[in-house]
Amino acid sequence: MSFERKKVLLAPLDPVHDIGLKMIKRGLERAGHDALLLPPDYSQEEIIKAIIDNNVDVVLISRTLGYGVAEILGRFVDLAEAAGIRDKVKIGIGGMAIRPELAAELGFDAGFGPGTTVEEAVAFVEGREYVPDEIRGKKAKKDITRGYDYSFKNKSIEQLLDKIVDGIIDYVSDKTTSAIQRAELRRQILKTSNESERQSLRLEYAKLCDKIVKDFYEAGKYREKTRPLLPEELKALETYVNETNSRMNPLKLQHADKNPLVFIQYGTGCPFMDIAHIKSCEAWGADGAVHFDPSWGARTEGFFEGYITHEEDGSVITYENLKRIKDSLSPFTLWQVRAHRGLNTPETVLLAGIIGADLTKINIAYGSLGGGTDPERLTVDAVCAIKYAAEFNMPFDVVTNEELCGVPAYKAFAGMLIVSKLGLRLGGKPILQPLFCYSPEVMVSGQMQDNYVDFNAAKILCLRNIVNAPIWCGAPIGFLTQTEDRVQSSLMTALHASLASSLGVDGISIASADEAFSGGPISVAARIDTLKATQSAFRFFGKSGIVPTDSAEKWAYEIERGIENVLESIVQNGNFIDALYKGLLGSREEGAYPGRAGRGTVIKK
Amino acid sequence: MSKAMERIMDAVDLETFIVCKDEEEGKKLSIQLMDELGFKDVNIVFCQHQGPGARVRLRGYVYKPGDRYGWLKN
Repeated sequence: MSFERKKVLLAPLDPVHDIGLKMIKRGLERAGHDALLLPPDYSQEEIIKAIIDNNVDVVLISRTLGYGVAEILGRFVDLAEAAGIRDKVKIGIGGMAIRPELAAELGFDAGFGPGTTVEEAVAFVEGREYVPDEIRGKKAKKDITRGYDYSFKNKSIEQLLDKIVDGIIDYVSDKTTSAIQRAELRRQILKTSNESERQSLRLEYAKLCDKIVKDFYEAGKYREKTRPLLPEELKALETYVNETNSRMNPLKLQHADKNPLVFIQYGTGCPFMDIAHIKSCEAWGADGAVHFDPSWGARTEGFFEGYITHEEDGSVITYENLKRIKDSLSPFTLWQVRAHRGLNTPETVLLAGIIGADLTKINIAYGSLGGGTDPERLTVDAVCAIKYAAEFNMPFDVVTNEELCGVPAYKAFAGMLIVSKLGLRLGGKPILQPLFCYSPEVMVSGQMQDNYVDFNAAKILCLRNIVNAPIWCGAPIGFLTQTEDRVQSSLMTALHASLASSLGVDGISIASADEAFSGGPISVAARIDTLKATQSAFRFFGKSGIVPTDSAEKWAYEIERGIENVLESIVQNGNFIDALYKGLLGSREEGAYPGRAGRGTVIKK
Repeated sequence: MSKAMERIMDAVDLETFIVCKDEEEGKKLSIQLMDELGFKDVNIVFCQHQGPGARVRLRGYVYKPGDRYGWLKN
């Protein structure tokens, strides 16, 4: 199509505001058109006269003030008709007070509301369809671990970690658990195409499960507050996902290159509602989603099968549920399935790997000190799980959630570094996940009395001083700083996101604006609130940053020394698992209790 | 349920300012308001009283996880 130069009149129908028109004028001139901008505060009659005098092809009127907008614009259309120019000149209106439906109602050719781009206005002038600068197709999954070589700057810490890891590998070498056996059975169940073999494997699997799961396989009984999803519901979901995908044009949260990837966490209980929430978050710019399973699932030996919904928090892990969620994701969405606690850690990682998850989550120290699983059991299971993660090339984060129990950061970090080093030894790609939170430690000791910046910054500085590894702050950032107030909650999330970005971390998990509300399920609107807040914060700070005070460096040094001391005490103790029971990585006084689920279930091979 | 209401993904939040003497009255009026609007499953997500009244965020769940969602029929 040949280029047709247009003569455009831009007129602010407003006492003062014309910044939008100035930007459009520049865009039109850049595109090769003639643009004439009238000053603000012209009367409607003067604007009509200018249209006639200049013989323009297109008029763009802006209106920012909302009062009486319909009457004023309605009168403008009447004047244009009376002057005989309505049919000859294309007229568009835009500005803060304009909505497309209002423009259509008043008889304008187009209406541009808040958020309209210059390109959109140029497309209108040129009479072509506006094709937004879609990020669909351009948005690609990012490997958080890329560019990190896991070299240790603190060699003393590395040596201590190596000794502890040697001990763990040696300890588990002649041990197994029912969870490990179940995982291998699950692999066979999924592999075989012979139905009778599958059924016999299922019965073998059931023997290794708790009664509630055994009853499902043997008698078809469902756990209370769960139900199977019906075929018609599944069909409706498929339609919903296809339709949503066809109009998916996701927003981008990041403004500067250094802004971290943003993950949301889901686990409404229902895989359908999960999918609906994930699709909404994808559209509003989330880069990844983290699967939360129910707390009872972590304390139950064995997994169910089939499409199952759950009326309480946490979405039941089954192959079918996970597969359905995975299949509904947009290709650019990073997907993590958590396996950091509980009695099904190996099978969770195996399922995640088979289905094609991008990431998983494993931490022996948290899972056994704050997650309720016996330390010995989880250690044996976690080694197997890490091997699966390596087999499927799935990086895993090591989250220090025990900080929320009251364990000081330096102890939680010691546990995180042990599991990370174990992961490296087993061929995995660990991601450090320190918490950005108002933890019991700082509430008591006062490191956040003045601000939330310094101690969080100290954590990152400390980890950077130790090892060149990816960092993904969790989970969610700002934990215990948010209140039920939607604005306060979103702001706290956005500020923590900005701090994380300023510190150059690779990823963050964010809460919804419902983070502090415990009276019911998280609403999708509350998720969008924090995504929008984070996007605005990234826009606000850009490449600039937040400057911590000198306390950050001081505390970073103290945390590093603390980690070293803890690791030394574990080496002296001689056994990592024993150290967990003894409280060297978090004591009962600090709020860490060695878990009891699965105690005494480790089997000597 | 109205056709429009069926298209709510999960919940309706109503945010407003209620003129009242204290938080207790604010909460009582909040529940009354949601009841009058026809919501059955109601929560007060946020309520803070200062001086003239209470800033509130009220929630009426239309669908909870595990329900049969109206928006999935279409």
